[in-house]
Amino acid sequence: MELRKYITKRIIQIIIIFFVILTVLFLLFRLAPGDPVSMMVDPDMTQEDAEMLIVQLGLEQPLGMQYLIYLKNFFTGHFGFSFHYGDPVVDIIWDRLPNTVLLFTTSIILSALVGVFLGKIASWHKGKKVDSIMTIGALVTHTVFLPWLALILIWIFAYKFGWFPINGMISEEVWLDPEAGFISRALDVMYHMVLPLSTLFLIHFGAYLLIMRSSMLETLKEDYILTARAKGLEEKVIRDHHAAPNAALPVVTSVGLSLAFSINGGALTETVFTWPGIGRELVSSVSQNDYPLAQACFLMIAGVVLISNLVVDVLYAYLDPRIRY
Amino acid sequence: MSKQNENSMGPERHPWVSSFLEGWSIFRQNLLGKIGLTLLVMFALMALCSYIPPWISPIYDPMTGVDPDITSCSGPCLRHWLGTDFMGRDILSQLLAGARIAFMVGISAAVMSIVLGVSIGMTAGYMGRFIDTLLMRLADMIMVMPTLLVVLLLSAVFGQLNIWTIVLIIALFRWPGVSRIIRGQTLSLKQRPFIEAAKVAGASHFRIIFIHIMPNVLPLAFLFMTFRVTSAIITEAALAFLGFGDPGTVSWGMMLQWVWKTGHMFQAPYWLLPPGICISLITLSFYMLGRAMDEVLDPRLRKEDQTD
Repeated sequence: MELRKYITKRIIQIIIIFFVILTVLFLLFRLAPGDPVSMMVDPDMTQEDAEMLIVQLGLEQPLGMQYLIYLKNFFTGHFGFSFHYGDPVVDIIWDRLPNTVLLFTTSIILSALVGVFLGKIASWHKGKKVDSIMTIGALVTHTVFLPWLALILIWIFAYKFGWFPINGMISEEVWLDPEAGFISRALDVMYHMVLPLSTLFLIHFGAYLLIMRSSMLETLKEDYILTARAKGLEEKVIRDHHAAPNAALPVVTSVGLSLAFSINGGALTETVFTWPGIGRELVSSVSQNDYPLAQACFLMIAGVVLISNLVVDVLYAYLDPRIRY
Repeated sequence: MSKQNENSMGPERHPWVSSFLEGWSIFRQNLLGKIGLTLLVMFALMALCSYIPPWISPIYDPMTGVDPDITSCSGPCLRHWLGTDFMGRDILSQLLAGARIAFMVGISAAVMSIVLGVSIGMTAGYMGRFIDTLLMRLADMIMVMPTLLVVLLLSAVFGQLNIWTIVLIIALFRWPGVSRIIRGQTLSLKQRPFIEAAKVAGASHFRIIFIHIMPNVLPLAFLFMTFRVTSAIITEAALAFLGFGDPGTVSWGMMLQWVWKTGHMFQAPYWLLPPGICISLITLSFYMLGRAMDEVLDPRLRKEDQTD
């Protein structure tokens, strides 16, 4: 019951934040230097099409009215047309969103799981060689400049050894082949995902490892661990069943707090590997002055961050009963 | 804590000086901190040396210097220790200039965001009620925004941003973390008798916040500064890498963007490696410095390490 109340509260907060972002974006694009028509309507459009779009977006109306039309368009999925592609922005977004979600969630889950696992081991061997190697390794991989790491991985594994594709998400011959089933297509995507995923994984797992390690060391000092030892439980049981679940809570918090940082990294990775996701679309739409697409991409990314935040919060509340009461 | 030091160190020392000396002696025992500081001194020297190459000869100018004999990307030689880029500009002098930009961006953005974060955190914590709620909701909102993508979007709307605008935007989006911590600290300080005394003596809110509360939260703020420096440097570098940096500056991110965009990354490791190593190392050294300072300021962490 309490959990439901907590989640409802968080959902309301997130909706408010999203509305504020929506409004700020509206003001940003309408009040920016240059007139809004040039910002939202493709200069290459024919006269009639342009006029139709101006009416649809309400650009000839006063600002207050424009805002209402903007909200209505948002909820009905009208974001205008991309200057670069000429397609409706919403179609492009729906095409790219699953790719971003796939890369983003896989990398976060993988790096958090591995970080927790290795952090547990490091704390267990505190002060020994294993611990030092892991701590230093985590520090170094966590502070490497992401795009550079991506370039180095491409250089070594795709160019020198030729083990993985240099960029992209699919091989055309597999996808154009009508014989190819779901499994071979999925394998093809996985094959393309190895390098971008490794980049994001290497950048992120270090932070989680360090947090897990220090949180584990704190937890091992607790009284209930002493009790468990006094009961004569095996060390492995104490570590895995008594200490680790509690020690992992700060990692969950930190996943939530670092989501914004992770999505920056995601956009950089997508760009370097030309992974067809929202982040890359945002970068290229900004460089092509494709304002409607840039606006929509940013909105979607903000949405992804907010929803993942909610997921993390719910997960935390589920894992830690104390938060519910 | 500072009172104890005053007694032990003698009355002529200012409490800040003595607590600094005490912190320094702890810091010196910290390996991470020492490595970090050494690396930072090296980078500072690099930044200082950046004035030398253009002074020797105009062909070494990081931006406009062109060697009359070399017009394309070439490997290391006696005249150009790290080789030249696609326009025949010297990579070493670009690298040195990049150190200067990194410090400039990192430190100015960090100082600005700390000043903002501390002021907002103290105001929220001290004033409480409506102002507190308002400021902290604002902080929550800004915290979930990916800074890099915000700067990207702003450069879409306002066109090419110059380096100081970029620094300013980074600072404006990087204060919430600091302000939350400072707010928590202020909330507990507010209950102390000396604040009560100041109030009774008729001090204004402004005076209480900046004269009585601020000295007590500053050490914590300094700790955050090192982490803010790294995030500012990374954000600027990433922005430059994506091609939205200030075209009038030579930063490490910009160098990587040139390697990448001109397609030399597979042919010219002497050009690809140095800027990336520099960005990563400067981040690492500020990070290590931050962790070491963390241990100086938090006795709990220190004790844990000394039991080893």
